[in-house]
Amino acid sequence: MQKSVVILAAVSIAGAALAEGALTLPEEGSISRADGQAAFERIYEVVTHPRCANCHVGEDNIPMWSGPSYGEARPHGMHINAGESRIGAEFLPCQTCHVTSDDFDTAPHAAPRFGIAWQLAPVEFEWFGKSRAEICAQLKDPERNGGRDWRGLVEHLEHDASLNGPVAWGWSPGGDRDPAPRTLEEHVEDMALWGAAGQPCPTD
Amino acid sequence: MSRAGKIARRTFLIGSAAIAGGVAFGVYMAKKPIPNPLLDDLKDGEAAITPFVKIDAEGITLITPRADKGQGAYSIQAYLIAEELDIDPATAMITPGMPGQAYYNASVLSEGVPFPAYQDGFVAETLRDFMSVPAKLFSIQMTGGSSTVPDGFDRMRLAGATARETLKEAAARRVGVARGDLRTENGAVILPDGTSIAYTDLAAEAAEIDPVTDVTLRPASAWRYLGKPDLPRLDMLRKCTGTEVYGIDMEFQDMLHATVRANPAVGTAGARVDASAAEGMRGVEKILPVSNGVGVIANNTWRAFQAAEALEIEWSAPDYPGTSEGIFATLEQALGDPDSYDHRQRNEGDVDAALEAGEVIEARYRIPYLAHAPMEPMNAVVRVLDAQVEIWTGTQIPLFIRDRAATIAGVEPEAVKVYVLPMGGSFGHRLEMTHVEQAVELALAVPGRHLKLTWSREEDMSHDYPRPASVAAGRGKVADGKVMAFDLSVSQSAMAPEWFGRLSGMSLPGPDATITTGSWDQPFDIPDYRVTGYRAPSMVPVSSWRSVGASGNGFYHDSFLDELIHAAGADPLAERIRLCLHEPARKVLEAVGEMSGWDGPSIAEGRGRGVGFCMSFGVPCAQVIEVTQTDEGIRIDQVYVAVDVGEVLDPTNLEAQVFGGVIFGLGHAMNCALTYENHAPLETNYHAYEGMRLYQAPQIEVRALSNGSRIRGVGEPGVPPAAPALANAIFAATGQRIRELPLNKHIDFV
Amino acid sequence: MKLTVNGTEHEVDVEPEMPLLWVLRDELNIKGPKYGCGIAQCGACTVHVDGMAVRSCQLPVGDLEGGVTTIEGLGTPERLHAVQAAWVAHQVAQCGYCQSGQIMQAAALLDLNPEPSDAEIDAVMSGNLCRCGTYPRIRAAIHDAAQKLSEA
Repeated sequence: MQKSVVILAAVSIAGAALAEGALTLPEEGSISRADGQAAFERIYEVVTHPRCANCHVGEDNIPMWSGPSYGEARPHGMHINAGESRIGAEFLPCQTCHVTSDDFDTAPHAAPRFGIAWQLAPVEFEWFGKSRAEICAQLKDPERNGGRDWRGLVEHLEHDASLNGPVAWGWSPGGDRDPAPRTLEEHVEDMALWGAAGQPCPTD
Repeated sequence: MSRAGKIARRTFLIGSAAIAGGVAFGVYMAKKPIPNPLLDDLKDGEAAITPFVKIDAEGITLITPRADKGQGAYSIQAYLIAEELDIDPATAMITPGMPGQAYYNASVLSEGVPFPAYQDGFVAETLRDFMSVPAKLFSIQMTGGSSTVPDGFDRMRLAGATARETLKEAAARRVGVARGDLRTENGAVILPDGTSIAYTDLAAEAAEIDPVTDVTLRPASAWRYLGKPDLPRLDMLRKCTGTEVYGIDMEFQDMLHATVRANPAVGTAGARVDASAAEGMRGVEKILPVSNGVGVIANNTWRAFQAAEALEIEWSAPDYPGTSEGIFATLEQALGDPDSYDHRQRNEGDVDAALEAGEVIEARYRIPYLAHAPMEPMNAVVRVLDAQVEIWTGTQIPLFIRDRAATIAGVEPEAVKVYVLPMGGSFGHRLEMTHVEQAVELALAVPGRHLKLTWSREEDMSHDYPRPASVAAGRGKVADGKVMAFDLSVSQSAMAPEWFGRLSGMSLPGPDATITTGSWDQPFDIPDYRVTGYRAPSMVPVSSWRSVGASGNGFYHDSFLDELIHAAGADPLAERIRLCLHEPARKVLEAVGEMSGWDGPSIAEGRGRGVGFCMSFGVPCAQVIEVTQTDEGIRIDQVYVAVDVGEVLDPTNLEAQVFGGVIFGLGHAMNCALTYENHAPLETNYHAYEGMRLYQAPQIEVRALSNGSRIRGVGEPGVPPAAPALANAIFAATGQRIRELPLNKHIDFV
Repeated sequence: MKLTVNGTEHEVDVEPEMPLLWVLRDELNIKGPKYGCGIAQCGACTVHVDGMAVRSCQLPVGDLEGGVTTIEGLGTPERLHAVQAAWVAHQVAQCGYCQSGQIMQAAALLDLNPEPSDAEIDAVMSGNLCRCGTYPRIRAAIHDAAQKLSEA
């Protein structure tokens, strides 16, 4: 199993950061296409999970809600719109409620928070309601992923997590929210596996 | 009045349980001189002219016993007194005073009489006035039932006038002129030569003489404050500067902070508690049992909340259904069941015969439990001293609180001081006192210390004593474009007897009028017309919610009427006007027609308007609501409201109360319900109980008419017509008839 | 721990996770900010931190960076802020409990956007819940305050 080539920092406590560069990246081409596709499948499960997708929304700039007891995702209550700035600057800054704190532990249904300024992901990173093919194409398109190759994507995850940003928060969201599937470390590893396999997309 | 005999017997049962032993007792009690609570606290040199005015060398104090929960009671009571007393109320001290029996609330029970409020005949009026006897008996210094203005209108002005004339008499005796030669202005008696003597300077002499009681109230044409536009609320500046002191803001040196967790199956005792995690938490001083739950005493509210959260509690379950599904099944079972029959206060024509043959239109409706959820959660500060209990809290029922606290603490009621504070909303929530009972229980464990108990929002919403859930069935018939037969049955657990029993320990026998209030008493003339109430078993303990019975019955009655009118092919507004037999009610319907430019329910493709009408607390209120179906859901564009309160004392506040009533009615109709699982509501905070937010608030235009006979309050009557008007408008815009609240179970809103 | 509220520095001995709201109310006896929900659903606890509106029930005091202004520091009965004056002129408050938060939010709005449209007011003010239904007058008062501020 290719996972043996990956060395991860031990990260298990909520809010603790993944150390940058903790991961030894596999050689490009050392991962089979099938393993890469399997890794993408897991990535897809993560990025379309409400913890991630709810703030990776489209150009209406309206985040989604699906915390404990909301059932299906619904538009954020209170008529919230993050604006083109994606930080609410035009209207109500996200940080009015989503304060910046390394302490992710909130009451259920309180405003979740993490260690950097709360915001929506850039609009070109839209995941909410998108298909495998659409998300795969977006993730590998430097025009729409922040100008990153696959190594850049891994670094991005590690860096964000080191700041206690949304990547770290997604797996320790507090407030009885469902965390994203599996672990942060596995997600980073999957990103590396998928990249080393040549970022294969689903065939369908 | 062929119904009078039958109904009158029932009346005595409805409103006057304590009369079971005989009316004479009631009359005797009611005729006994009412103790004046101010006399207890009077210092030398103070004159207690009436229970509403206190004057000493320091200044003038107006006592406004009806509590302010946002409806403007504080202000209007002060203006009522000041209007006759000739003072600027902004210069006076204004206080709710200590609870005392002199503050009985006569009007709150008068709508409980079995005559619809639109009947002002001799028997109806006599009975309504007679209802003040049980009100006195029950010592209800209560705020509620939109009764502050009707109850205080004459009494408080008389108090002001009596005070004024007595002060003039004191001045007359001092300077040796006739009282008739004196006048008053701005807190002073003006002598014929133009010199003035301040009221405060006359206080001691006024105390020595008998009050002048043969006073004549000024006509409306002579008013300086009442009825004037731009009458500023006297608490407005404080409320806009963060300086109003609500109950939750009371602060004392060395005060302890407490909270509780009680069984979410309200009133159910018995729990297994593991406090081990909470006991060592920072700032926690004591963890103690309270009735039906556990209390935490700490040195900071948040620390108390955190420790309460950390308690592991296993609650015991009551024997009624634990889920909304089971509750509604129980309500449905009682509907129409002869064994559950409670009352039938309207029965005209022969409904059974009318509905025997031909096409009968049928519809079934249901409404959920609703929390009051005022912004300020329940709280109380209590201090227990050797032979005295002091309580600071925002409440509508200070006398019930006094008596209950006395029982819990084992002292005489006179040893309990209740200081009533401004309330951050109530909507009926502060007609309960569980939180005060808990605070007294906890304060007994820390004698001599002030203890503030605060409910978390979650505790508040799960111990709300909600508006009853209910179900209804309508059957009717139309012919020749007219509504001919209307038969409505409503099934609900008893509300009024349960509430009254909780507060007083007394049982209130007879039917529970709240089951059909707002549907049996509507001013329409339908040939075969019947409304029947069925009493389902008690389940979740319930209470009054802004507009009480009419909050649900307004929806039932007017929704079904709208369905029949539609079936008849008649115009919704024109047919209501044709059926209406009460002049002021017809006028409000005509007014909303004119305001909205009514030309039928359809405005354009995807746009419609609905009319809603309900007469509650004697106030006819009609609303026309315009909605648009958009891609995101229904948008409420515009609301036109016409209302008749008899005499408008404060137009600015009337508009505010109607705005508030409409928004309250619409918000809950759109998206609010308490849904029960395991005997507890799932909705425990505003994320799941949104009501209306600012972006959803429509334009609202209000017109107040004055064709009614008696002066009425307007805190509640704006609520009941909103839900049916909205549902009727949605039908007009979409063709979808929604018979269940909240409406968002069936349709999306923007 | 030190914090500055309405220009005055205070020293408090509290755990860093205690929300600012309860430090203000129970430790410093500053009662203008209200507790309504504890979960950023009602806005009654709104204060300014370095001029930005913040729900004080959500901010662990240990994460506070900057000076705090509460309704008491915005204006006083003798010297009203333009938003407070507009609130009084329009007789906005009913129970008044949410109004500290509404006023603080509206003041922050006008600071960022001196001439908000109705749609912008709706977007900003819908996080502040009012159970009495004062919304129509809040809208009117904000427009009024905007005009007064632009004339000043």
